[in-house]
Amino acid sequence: MRTVFLASLRTHIRRYVAAAIAVAVAVAFVVVVGVLTSGARSGLMDGLGAPYRDADYVVSAAGWPSSELDPKAAIAFAERHGENAAATGRATLPARANGRRLPSETTVGPIATSAEWRWQELSSGRFPARTGEAVADVYFALAEHIAVGDRVRIGEGAAARDVRVVGLVESPSPPAQAAMYVTWPQLLQWRDHLHLSAVAVRGEVGQLPEGAKAQSPEGFAAERLTYVQNRVDSLSVMLLLFAGIALFVAVLVIANTFSILFAQRLRDFALLRCIGATRRQVVRSVRREAAVVGVLASLTGTLVGVGLGYGLIALINTLTPTALMGAAELPTPWLLGGFAVGLVVTMVASWLPARRVVRVSPLAALRPDAAVDVHTATGLVRLALAAILLVTGPALLGVAMVQGSTALMVAGGGSVFAGVLLFGPVLVPHLVWITGALLGPAGRLATKNAVRNPRRTATTTASLLVGVTLTTAVLTGMATWRSALDEQIGRDHPIDVALTSPERPVTTDLLDRVRHTPGVERAIPVDGAVARVAGLDKPIPVVTAPAAEHVARDGGAFARVEPGKIGIDSEAFGKDLSLRPGDRVTVRVGDRRAQLQVAVGTGWGPVGVVAPETLATLTDAPEPHAIWIRASSGADPARLGGDLDKLADPVGATIENGLRTWESLDQQLEIYTWSALGLLGIAVVIALIGIANTLGLSVLERAREHAMLRALGLTRRQLRRMLATEAVLLSVVATLLGTVIGVGFAWVGYETLVTRALSDATMRVPWLSLGVVVLIAALAGLLAAVLPARRAARVTPAAGLSLD
Amino acid sequence: MTTTTRQGAQETVAASAWNLTKTYGQGDAQVHALRGIDFDLPRGRFTAIMGPSGSGKSTLMHCLAGLDQPSGGTVTVAGTDLGSLDDDALTIFRREHIGFVFQSFNLLPMLTAGENIVLPLELGGRRIDDAARERARMLADTLGVADRLGHRPAELSGGQQQRVAIARALITEPDLLFADEPTGNLDSTTSAEVLDHLRRSARELGQTVVMVTHERDAATYADYVVTMQDGRIA
Ligand SMILES: Nc1ncnc2c1ncn2[C@@H]1O[C@H](COP(=O)(O)OP(=O)(O)O)[C@@H](O)[C@H]1O
Ligand SMILES: [Mg+2]
Repeated sequence: MRTVFLASLRTHIRRYVAAAIAVAVAVAFVVVVGVLTSGARSGLMDGLGAPYRDADYVVSAAGWPSSELDPKAAIAFAERHGENAAATGRATLPARANGRRLPSETTVGPIATSAEWRWQELSSGRFPARTGEAVADVYFALAEHIAVGDRVRIGEGAAARDVRVVGLVESPSPPAQAAMYVTWPQLLQWRDHLHLSAVAVRGEVGQLPEGAKAQSPEGFAAERLTYVQNRVDSLSVMLLLFAGIALFVAVLVIANTFSILFAQRLRDFALLRCIGATRRQVVRSVRREAAVVGVLASLTGTLVGVGLGYGLIALINTLTPTALMGAAELPTPWLLGGFAVGLVVTMVASWLPARRVVRVSPLAALRPDAAVDVHTATGLVRLALAAILLVTGPALLGVAMVQGSTALMVAGGGSVFAGVLLFGPVLVPHLVWITGALLGPAGRLATKNAVRNPRRTATTTASLLVGVTLTTAVLTGMATWRSALDEQIGRDHPIDVALTSPERPVTTDLLDRVRHTPGVERAIPVDGAVARVAGLDKPIPVVTAPAAEHVARDGGAFARVEPGKIGIDSEAFGKDLSLRPGDRVTVRVGDRRAQLQVAVGTGWGPVGVVAPETLATLTDAPEPHAIWIRASSGADPARLGGDLDKLADPVGATIENGLRTWESLDQQLEIYTWSALGLLGIAVVIALIGIANTLGLSVLERAREHAMLRALGLTRRQLRRMLATEAVLLSVVATLLGTVIGVGFAWVGYETLVTRALSDATMRVPWLSLGVVVLIAALAGLLAAVLPARRAARVTPAAGLSLD
Repeated sequence: MTTTTRQGAQETVAASAWNLTKTYGQGDAQVHALRGIDFDLPRGRFTAIMGPSGSGKSTLMHCLAGLDQPSGGTVTVAGTDLGSLDDDALTIFRREHIGFVFQSFNLLPMLTAGENIVLPLELGGRRIDDAARERARMLADTLGVADRLGHRPAELSGGQQQRVAIARALITEPDLLFADEPTGNLDSTTSAEVLDHLRRSARELGQTVVMVTHERDAATYADYVVTMQDGRIA
């Protein structure tokens, strides 16, 4: 049997190449995740320890993470050690730069003036030397459009300080990271807002503050790492999920390869049985063949994965120098795991086809002219199981939608999908028939070829189906989520930019200049009068805006205030707003007054919005006190804010910029969508290798047929076109089916999850994107057919006819 | 088209080979399958190419039928020098002028017998009209497979498959019908039927038929017998 095994390995190993590539890609995916995780971990460890590298001890909360250092005691402790201590921590303060209120979570941390304690790395400008100077984190500066030389106002009221940005820094230690850094004495000016996470100490620790503990720097870093590590680990789990999908697709591809190859060799196996090989011998021989393929593919995948992983780390480090990627040590468990998974997957995939080999009767070899019938019937058990899954699946999904249960949704989705896969040998050929019929007689041969082996057809399409279903589900889910968010943001930030002039009315000249500012699509003047509102320390304009619908993102709903009410923007007044929804307040304009009920919303600036009737009771001569602006799509929020601020500042007006929120959320969704699509892309590529593979093996199998067709007058080009049509049919059918299921899943997900989180979200189907997916699938199918079709067309008819 | 060539200079010749050679492989492994063949095929007759296995019969047939390029010499079929045609032109030439019956794997397994018969017309992009269908029916009738047109090849006996193949070869009214060991897989009774059909298509329809065989019995059906030996005509 040994000679037989070696000989068949030599003869057939080349036919495994495509399937082996599929497995290798999936294994490499797993290994790359491992190397990146390891790199991220070591990078985190390096960066995390940076602030404490010269310390003898690190003092931090004993009960961390459930308790933190008492701010006052910790500050006192750090003060007591003077030059021998450096604190890490931050104060969270409101800040304004370039006429914009920065996002509320602007954090300010300490930066040492001495080089030993300083852990931030300078990327431009210089370090701050004294009070009044600050450095900004490069990424924060990038996001907020802050440059060296800018002035930033940190804090509010009496605690407000102006600082000048003298440099930009990179901050490698996540727990000590802040958006801006100032010197220790300056930071103490906001000591009421300051929370310290740790104090690094040189020399003796002395008396510890209450609830604190002292650790070695290494011990401290290790402790904090486990916390940050969770984030890395959950990212790894996410990535592994995608790797799992890729592996599943690879299983389909390699299982299909085994069944095709074994079916083609059924006569060989029968012949072996005829001349005395036992079943065990035959099966052991094919199992060993699978093992060799598995080992080679997994080994290749592991090596490629390691190379790719380290390459990616190097790439990430060059592209983004602050990325937390360290020198990864070889993640041995991951490598072994990836290798083992690849091997096991290959062996499992060969198991069923190998069992079919066992059942071959020796007589099969003796049948004359056995043009091996590779047609496989669809088993009754399989159909019954599919039926059960296809009944219970939708039922589970229905219950999931009613109850909002994620677990039921996943279970139902899983069983629907499994049902579709099992039902594939019946379903897919029918779909191919229908699609093929659209091609007319030209596609008839291709259609018949595509459906001649239902199970093979089904498995081939299944691999692509997985990727396409998930892709369309992601696309539809994201589109729905995005439109829901758009609505929500529209409600929270109805006005893109609000210019408010609390003292003087705005002039028509100002309105003109606002309207001519680049990035402004429309601007309306908002009439009102300056009023004293009980509970607010300063007078504010009370306005009415019947025309708000022309600029508001919520259609002006926020401005349609009932008579007797006053709408207050809780965000514009910040934390100090003492008014609560439902409070009754007295509003005075001159000597007229009105009792109004407070309604709270966000997104239109520091004015009170009232009904026109209400305003009429307060004043006879309303004047414009605000300009509400709708930005044109694609306008740069920071530029627009800055430009408008330049107009507003000289006349004592302020700017509320709601546009920022839109932009960053948009970007975030975009990043999620593209990451998911990119990762799914790997599964789709494997599936396409699978289609090329099936087609390639079928071409070998049909060599005589092709030769005969060529003899009868089929030109090379017609032959190539026939094979390409077959591949396109398979991929388009898989894509259409996947799109339907994917959109269905997205709808279930929407009913189950989204409608609960965002009550008035509406389902969005991104037709354009889905069309692009189908188109890409068709093109990819065409691409998959290129190699097999070329190989098939190269054979001369005579050579094909004398093949055995 | 058939009438014009019939009245041409080579009135009695359907195809001819001149100094035809074919060599496979290189160096030590070189095989001279054809070593200089000169020969004319009479039109409207049933010619058998006989010879032991490995004597070059199939190779000669492949070269005559434009399925393979000879290493040297010329082949003329229906007045056309096959050497002057590129692959596409040769394919179209085969489609229009030549019919084939092979030893096995003659029919496409996923098409019915009827679909197999009209396949050459379809490959030529011709519409399968009533006339074509009528001709297919008539051929199937003559060959005794008319009641089998809706069946797949797997549901037909070997003899029936070969008769369907003959019908398919005749549907385009080819100048030349080639059959390579058409009875190789058949028992003697069915062989006799198939051979009789080939002979009748020559006698009754004036079809030029060339059959390659190594069986003496099969050759006795032919009008002429050409015997090959070691790449030469003996
Ligand atoms: N593709 C090929 N490559 C190498 N040798 C070949 C090939 N085809 C045929 N031969 C050789 O050419 C000779 C003639 O073969 P063939 O024409 O098939 O003989 P026949 O049909 O008379 O049995 C044989 O020796 C055979 O081995
Ligand atoms: Mg032969």
